[in-house]
Amino acid sequence: MERIDHAASELREMDDLVAMASPVHSLHPLAKLITTIAYIFLTVSFGKYDLSGLIVMVLYPVLMFELSGVSVKTCFYKLRVVLPLVCAVGLFNPFFDRAPLLYLGSAAVSGGVVSMVTLMLKGVFCLMASFILVASTSLDAICAALRKLHVPNMLVTLLLLTYRYISVMIDEVSVMTTAYKLRAPGQKGIHCSAWGSFLGQLLLRSMDRAEELYSSMQLRGFCGEFRYADVKPANAKDYVFTLALLLALILCRYYNIAEIFGTIAFGGAA
Amino acid sequence: MIRFEHVSFEYEKGKKVLDDLSFTICDGESVGLIGANGTGKSTLMKVLLGLLPYTGTIYVDGSAVNKHNLKDVRRKLGFVLQNSDNQMFMPTVYEDIMFAPMNYGMSREEAEVKTDRVLERLGLTDLKYRHNHRISGGEKRMAAIATILAMDPDVLLMDEPTSALDPYNRRIVINTINALPNTKVITSHDLDMILDTCRRVLLLSNGRIVADGEASTVLRDKPLLEAHRMELPLCFAGREQ
Amino acid sequence: MHMADALLAPAVAATMYVASGTVTGMSVHKLKKDEDTQKLPAMAVTAALVFAGQMINYTIPGTGSSGHMCGGLMLSALLGPQAGFLSMVVILTIQCLFFADGGLMALGANCWNMAFYGCFVGYYLIWRPIMRSSWFGSLEPRAAARMRIIAASVIGCVVTLQLGAFSVVVETSLSGITELPFGAFCALMQPIHLAIGLVEGLITSAVLVFVFESRPELLQDANCEAKGITGRRSLKTTVIVIAVAAAAAGGVLSLFASPNPDGLEWALFGNSEAGYSENMALDEDNFGIRSGAADAAASVQEKTAFLPDYAFSNSESAAGTTVSGLLGSAIVAGVAVGICVLGGFFRKKNRSA
Repeated sequence: MERIDHAASELREMDDLVAMASPVHSLHPLAKLITTIAYIFLTVSFGKYDLSGLIVMVLYPVLMFELSGVSVKTCFYKLRVVLPLVCAVGLFNPFFDRAPLLYLGSAAVSGGVVSMVTLMLKGVFCLMASFILVASTSLDAICAALRKLHVPNMLVTLLLLTYRYISVMIDEVSVMTTAYKLRAPGQKGIHCSAWGSFLGQLLLRSMDRAEELYSSMQLRGFCGEFRYADVKPANAKDYVFTLALLLALILCRYYNIAEIFGTIAFGGAA
Repeated sequence: MIRFEHVSFEYEKGKKVLDDLSFTICDGESVGLIGANGTGKSTLMKVLLGLLPYTGTIYVDGSAVNKHNLKDVRRKLGFVLQNSDNQMFMPTVYEDIMFAPMNYGMSREEAEVKTDRVLERLGLTDLKYRHNHRISGGEKRMAAIATILAMDPDVLLMDEPTSALDPYNRRIVINTINALPNTKVITSHDLDMILDTCRRVLLLSNGRIVADGEASTVLRDKPLLEAHRMELPLCFAGREQ
Repeated sequence: MHMADALLAPAVAATMYVASGTVTGMSVHKLKKDEDTQKLPAMAVTAALVFAGQMINYTIPGTGSSGHMCGGLMLSALLGPQAGFLSMVVILTIQCLFFADGGLMALGANCWNMAFYGCFVGYYLIWRPIMRSSWFGSLEPRAAARMRIIAASVIGCVVTLQLGAFSVVVETSLSGITELPFGAFCALMQPIHLAIGLVEGLITSAVLVFVFESRPELLQDANCEAKGITGRRSLKTTVIVIAVAAAAAGGVLSLFASPNPDGLEWALFGNSEAGYSENMALDEDNFGIRSGAADAAASVQEKTAFLPDYAFSNSESAAGTTVSGLLGSAIVAGVAVGICVLGGFFRKKNRSA
């Protein structure tokens, strides 16, 4: 049951993060959206043994987290939902792929281990990148960016409306589960005999709510088309940020920066 | 000016919720609409707003309401819902207030000026960028009133504007209502609030108007009120003892 | 069933985005054509409800465990397939953005796996045919309708969840992420989702029956008798439709399925005593991962791979550059730490200023 209150507090946390002020927060949402997607795309495109190439990708999220002032801790807490499936898939790799790929001194590291670590790192990196996007950009701003990308108005509107009503619903569900729990002590969840009426009641009430909501929209002049308060137009800083980051990311993808660093350092030492 | 002529409405055949209503509300009047639960107060509001199909005629500013002028009529009427959560559907207060002006063809800049003016008038400037799901019940009610005022309605319709508010917020809402020059129609069970805000009262019972007159007279009439499942306002009840 | 970004190759993710995007576009178009704007608030509120509903745990009698719902079929039954699909897309987007449930790039795939099957396949192939059929015709009309709702919900949820789980396996395999043989992966995913599907079906049917009892007009296709559309499809046609769908699914499945389905067990247990070097000597054929599926996957992957060097990398070159790679990685890590230290330093300065 506490899951509900938990979800509510998670949403509140995000609101607080979004309300912070930082260079990252003030970037144009479209700039952030594009770089995030590019980052994720390039990150997952690394070969499955390309651990050393992948490593350099850690710099982007680290940089963004530092610039935005968002704590990495909040992000890692969210990993608990992502990692299980990634792990479930990746954990088998060491069993199936046992060819030694590299040697650390005399110890051989098999391809499976390398690919498992690579897979997990990819999962973590992508999560960090998308987390910093939503932690520094409000959903309204993301929606405005989506509109700029010509995502259908209906979908964007639905997204905003749903987001708005999730908090209302969570409150309602939380009240109802509390009421249920108080009269059914010692039950782990909601017993099957009450499944239908529990959610059904909620659903019927929601339908009435939806009707009232729609009339409230109609009364205020709504005729099928949502008009948004747009975000401010992009400025030079946004363009520079986007272009520079895209360039840097592509460089990181096609040149093994870590290895180049390493070679240079070696050369210097020798 | 609003005029009802023989307006009736029924949800199911034979069960009249509004039964042959006729009355007039003049410009600048503030009218309290009272009656026990289920006597058709909210239905009357919805009928006036064209949300429910009815028989009879409703005149707004002299012309009969029909399908074609419904949009213009609605623009003149601002309806504040009882549940602010159903009224405020945008993410932030600011966008919610912008919603109506922008739907009525205002440019973004104009709408923004309008929003700021409304917020200032109601003393809600702090709320501007707050999220609708993170403001208190009292703030939500005030913000809901602001979203309607941004439409510049001639008539304000309010359904239970003080329900579930603490005394402090209730007082704020009452003062706000009193400060507004619009024609007002207010439904409520909070008769003290009606007494504070309305000069005239319509008492509904079983879909009919059973009393129409000065608030101070009707609300003092103990036998009349009790006959229709109501009680004297607390301020009068206190004096009686 | 939410997939993370890391589980998908860019090409697969992009393909799924295109597929889900097309369905989304078509749904939006259909709803716009029908001028269903008043559906919008209903969609938003039910989507929010399903979202909140996913947070409630339901006890499964007799097992002491609990499950939660997913909602695709339920939304379709209440809103129609197009509106239901859009609502699911929105739910999945919010889950991915705010709860890290599924990745941003995997969103296309997630929408397909969880929303498309539940909403379109579930509605057109299962919900509507069953609701319009004359199943349970011997009972009195209301009871028959109730039984049809239960049957449609349970069958619908089980089938669509199986399809969804199967898609996860296909997408992951095509992406070349896992070394897990296709058949073994299936054997892992499908039974789990059979159980989940059953629970989901029970919850869905409980809710829909409740809605049917109190406000039947809210349900799609529930009032066929009143409208006189009954019997357009007989029991026989419905069974045939489902059988064909099952056969098609089975056919696809068998095409992919590994001839050596116990590869996983073999690899995990049968081989554990064998020495490491001995394993090394085994070629792929004996190793148990070679299968029609793997081959098909590999060849598709070669063709679709975003980058040519994406497939199995050559171990020699990797090993040859290991040392400088390691050193470089250490340098990168150093830079990352440096950024953190600098960031902390500046923040402190800002605060004191």
